[in-house]
Amino acid sequence: MKLDPSILARVQFAFTVSFHIIFPTMSIGLASFLAVIEALWLKTKNPTYLQIYRFWLNIFAMGFGIGVVTGIVLSFEFGLGFARFSQMAGPAIGPLIALEVLTAFFLEAGFLGIMLFGLHRVGPRLHFFATCMVAGGTLLSASWILSANSWMQTPAGVAIHDGQLTVVNWLHVLMNPSWPYRLSHMLTAAYLTASFMVAGVGAWYLLRGKHQDFARRTVALGTAFATVLIAGQVFIGDIVYGTMLKYQPSKMQAAEGFWEKQSQSPAPYYWFIIPDQKEQRNRFTLGTPYLGSIWLTHSLKGRVEGLKNTPRELQPRMAMVFYAFRIMYCLAMLMFAMGIASLWLRFRGKLFNSRWFLWMLVFMTPSGIIATLAGWYVGETGRQPWVIFGVLKTVDAVSPVPSQALLSTLIAFVCVYAVFITAFLIFTFRIIRRGPVDAPVYAEASGSIKNAFRPHVLDNPKRLADSQFL
Amino acid sequence: MKTSNVLLRVLGVTAALLGVLFFFIIVGVFGLPLAIAGLAVFVLGAVVVFRAFPTEGARL
Repeated sequence: MKLDPSILARVQFAFTVSFHIIFPTMSIGLASFLAVIEALWLKTKNPTYLQIYRFWLNIFAMGFGIGVVTGIVLSFEFGLGFARFSQMAGPAIGPLIALEVLTAFFLEAGFLGIMLFGLHRVGPRLHFFATCMVAGGTLLSASWILSANSWMQTPAGVAIHDGQLTVVNWLHVLMNPSWPYRLSHMLTAAYLTASFMVAGVGAWYLLRGKHQDFARRTVALGTAFATVLIAGQVFIGDIVYGTMLKYQPSKMQAAEGFWEKQSQSPAPYYWFIIPDQKEQRNRFTLGTPYLGSIWLTHSLKGRVEGLKNTPRELQPRMAMVFYAFRIMYCLAMLMFAMGIASLWLRFRGKLFNSRWFLWMLVFMTPSGIIATLAGWYVGETGRQPWVIFGVLKTVDAVSPVPSQALLSTLIAFVCVYAVFITAFLIFTFRIIRRGPVDAPVYAEASGSIKNAFRPHVLDNPKRLADSQFL
Repeated sequence: MKTSNVLLRVLGVTAALLGVLFFFIIVGVFGLPLAIAGLAVFVLGAVVVFRAFPTEGARL
């Protein structure tokens, strides 16, 4: 069997980047959540906030570690699978990725040690500063990487001479047309992810009748953050949609499931389609009449542009883009509905004893991660067949390496990442099952990491009573 | 059915309809200026509800 290196390179990068993005999404959101919780603890001196901090710090630390490791792999993959892309786009992309790595390692990793082990050694205020630096570091890291990725979506500030790209305006490269909107969209997605995770775990404890104070506060905080954030996310999402419609119309044409140059009037909003890319038509459609015109053209009878407006050889695969977009959008609507429901239940004083709502929160725990992944699939599959939109096609960006090399490394990545995700899930579920009461509320660092992990330091219940911070 | 229950149901349906209306406004169906205003009203309204109905003291 002959395997196509360009397909293998794409599958490998898609797999590794999909795996990677889960962890930065969690760590960006959780870092800011931890900063808020520590600020509340410093302000109120309520030990429950410290308990919440310690509980989520453990999960954050694991996610952060896996995020950093799997992120490094991606940089190497540029060389392994996409050497021609690196060769051409290196002058623009290279410095941005270098800055991302510098931010991640120097700011985040530097202060992470203090955040994890330094509460007793540096005092609560300086510790809070360290938490803020880690949260700020994750935000800066995301800014650089989103700048690089957005430049691939909407390239600007460069000139091409003899197939070699040179930067003519760094500010235009950095602040390319889609960057501010895509960055806001991604950051809000990360904060939403953390909000639903926190609320979901709290809801689980409430349903089990355990850790009531911890659970109430996390459900109250998680749903409050989620309600405000999802409204902002829906707003930003619409701006991102408009921006991409301007710069990458083919992506949004594929996302809406219409083929003809102009849809019928009024246009329906499709929820389910069976697209036939070869025949350039849908075999089956299921939609809501008028809604397409209302949502997409903001009029009752507006027509929507279809994928035939883009030459066939430059079209993305409709099925991938359409369903990724629908998953993201449907989850956003569900999140919005949950926000409204949480406001109603607060008003009625039933936020903690509506079992249907608590169960929904539990099921929605990974919703942010799924929506973020779906959003990235829209972004990346919708950009195809380009790797740098309008500049370099993906098929021309692949390294001249034998397919066996790509296949063997793909298998290796799958095996190693299976171990990572298994370990992460086992330890996370163990932390959740153990619960915050049994978790160390106050762990003293001794200056030695080895000693800090010893059971008598981590789990000495006397420290609960002795702690000067409680 | 008690009058208070009917009233609560009516209020619940109104809240749901308001939610749908806010969603349509915020996604820009009525234009960008209204979307910004809708977002501001929604966020302020949510903050008012958070402050007026604190949840920590609620009984299970």
